[in-house]
Amino acid sequence: MSARDNILSAVRSPLGRNAPRPAPWQTIRPPGDLVARFVAHAGAAAAQVKILEGADDIPLAAAEILRLRNLPAILHLPPDPILERLTWSSTPGLTLARAAPGPEDAAMSVARFGIAETGTLFYPASSVRPASWHFRPGLEVAILAADSIDFTLEQVLARLQGEGALPSTVNLVTGPSRTGDIEQTLELGAHGPKELAILIVPGGLQWA
Amino acid sequence: MSATFDPRRFVEASHEALNDPQLRPALGRLKTHFARGRTLAAARFGDFEALREQGRAIRDHALSRLDELLALFERTTQARGGHVHWARDAAEARAIVLAILREQGARSVTKGKSMVSEEIALNPFLEANGIRPVETDLGEYIVQLRDEPPSHIIAPAFHLAKEQVAETFRRSHTALDPARPLVERAALVAEARGVLRARFETADAGITGANFLAAAEGACVLVTNEGNGDLTRLLPRTHIVLTGIEKVVADLGDVAVLLRLLTRSATGQDISSYVSIMSGPRAAGENDGPQHFHVVLVDNGRSQLIGTEAEDVLRCIRCGACLNHCPIYGAVGGHAYGATYSGPIGAALNPGLLGVGMAHHHPNASTFCGRCAEVCPVKIPLPKIMRYWRAREYASGLAPKSAVFGLSLWAFAAKRPWAYRIGARIAARLLRWRAGGRGHIGALPLMRGWFAVRDLPAPEGRTFHDLWQRRR
Repeated sequence: MSARDNILSAVRSPLGRNAPRPAPWQTIRPPGDLVARFVAHAGAAAAQVKILEGADDIPLAAAEILRLRNLPAILHLPPDPILERLTWSSTPGLTLARAAPGPEDAAMSVARFGIAETGTLFYPASSVRPASWHFRPGLEVAILAADSIDFTLEQVLARLQGEGALPSTVNLVTGPSRTGDIEQTLELGAHGPKELAILIVPGGLQWA
Repeated sequence: MSATFDPRRFVEASHEALNDPQLRPALGRLKTHFARGRTLAAARFGDFEALREQGRAIRDHALSRLDELLALFERTTQARGGHVHWARDAAEARAIVLAILREQGARSVTKGKSMVSEEIALNPFLEANGIRPVETDLGEYIVQLRDEPPSHIIAPAFHLAKEQVAETFRRSHTALDPARPLVERAALVAEARGVLRARFETADAGITGANFLAAAEGACVLVTNEGNGDLTRLLPRTHIVLTGIEKVVADLGDVAVLLRLLTRSATGQDISSYVSIMSGPRAAGENDGPQHFHVVLVDNGRSQLIGTEAEDVLRCIRCGACLNHCPIYGAVGGHAYGATYSGPIGAALNPGLLGVGMAHHHPNASTFCGRCAEVCPVKIPLPKIMRYWRAREYASGLAPKSAVFGLSLWAFAAKRPWAYRIGARIAARLLRWRAGGRGHIGALPLMRGWFAVRDLPAPEGRTFHDLWQRRR
């Protein structure tokens, strides 16, 4: 017998042993605004969140994030049409880079969904939203539309599956990279971004 | 790995660990960091008890249909363009991984944290075959440089002080300026970030574990805080997932529930920084991620536990909470166990994976305080399973002669009330005489270890049976 058949027959459950599937877990959504909840949880995970007045404010807000940290005014952008449509020329002095970001660079990405329960960004990979960009840069600047925020991972998964097949990689990102591996003490910026800045825009974004 | 890393040396290794002054501060931090974090996270959640019950039910359901779910996972993964391999034991698993790497011509390999890879001793095998994988989880990287095994399921280097890490980095990173300051933890983390980024960029293949497999979607779910697992998957040409057959559940909905339990129980986080849902290689139109994707499903003794009194141990989601709350683990640490899995989960799992003969000390290393079962996110009755292994140890004649003799004596008396009464009467009088009016006894022959840290209150001289008789 092949290893596969050996293993499958060895784990076949003895007759009569069939634990029923439990009813789906129901998360009780606490009262209050989803955006406020998202902001509170993302903040607790050491992300820095700012709510903008509209998508038009993204370029200026990004430039300000770099300036406040004394970082070079260079922002790496993936070929995401949502970012392409923004008026970057309104932000003189900011250089846009197209190459994959290095470990000290700043890069922007658009989150498809947000999960308020944990302050999590939800990124399905696509040809214009490369998965590795959430791990390569030193600073990730994430754009999230208020309408894209749901309460739980289950709700967000259902919305994604409603839009079509799961891509090969879906990344959930909550705060910057961290490690507790030295003396069980938290340090930020282990391999992924040292900082995560989230810009929330009211309403929705034009996905198509 | 040192030759003294052997589960049969548990007793000697525990004494060495108890006398190791460098281990004390690290073990002391378990209570104030991990255990406290879990308590706070469970309280923040609200009805954590209901969540644990849901987690238990989800894992029980999956284990009772393991054959169906594994076959479904295979189909869905293949439909995504991934390859699924089956390994009955450690040797088969190692050979499968090597064959994939050879077929891809992979020379440089990065590796995310995987307890299964420790279990099958993958690294020494690959090194013997000319491939040295680089561990990329910071803790795993540190213990790899020191040629030590991990000492904790989720915090492999927690037993080290930052000065020891600095010393290790100075010895290993010889290309860097020897005069650089390496005092702060942040400096150590930054140095590892720099050194390992170069490895990620040049790796031909990456090997990771998986925390969960979702059968319906053909997805492997990986939980990390550092992001090393994702760089291991996404940058090389080939991604290999190495995981145990028991990790599969029905779908991503079930994974979402287990995730809530896992990170709260492990580090006290509501969720880890990164959770990645990985299905197959990069799809048409995607310009990122691996071109080749393999999943190696490892049995290595797990299927034999099904149908035994120890089968509940397969529910384990490897959070490490039982280690953090165990008085034995808290005293001796992980290395003393001489096995991949330590603490209560090791005591419940190792006799099954390694054999009772190899790991019979582990289920005896328990005060049966029950904290492990209280904090287990999927309600594994760990003390019950340890008792089962103790019974198996006794039945196979491995228990120490003194224990066998003592137990036979006890069994003889317990089954014969007249003998019990006579024995108890003699013992009570002897002990009273021995106390000599002091009310306590400081030592008895053959029991030096027991009396080393405590006294025995002296009996009054009459047995309970005698006193009861008189009252009636």
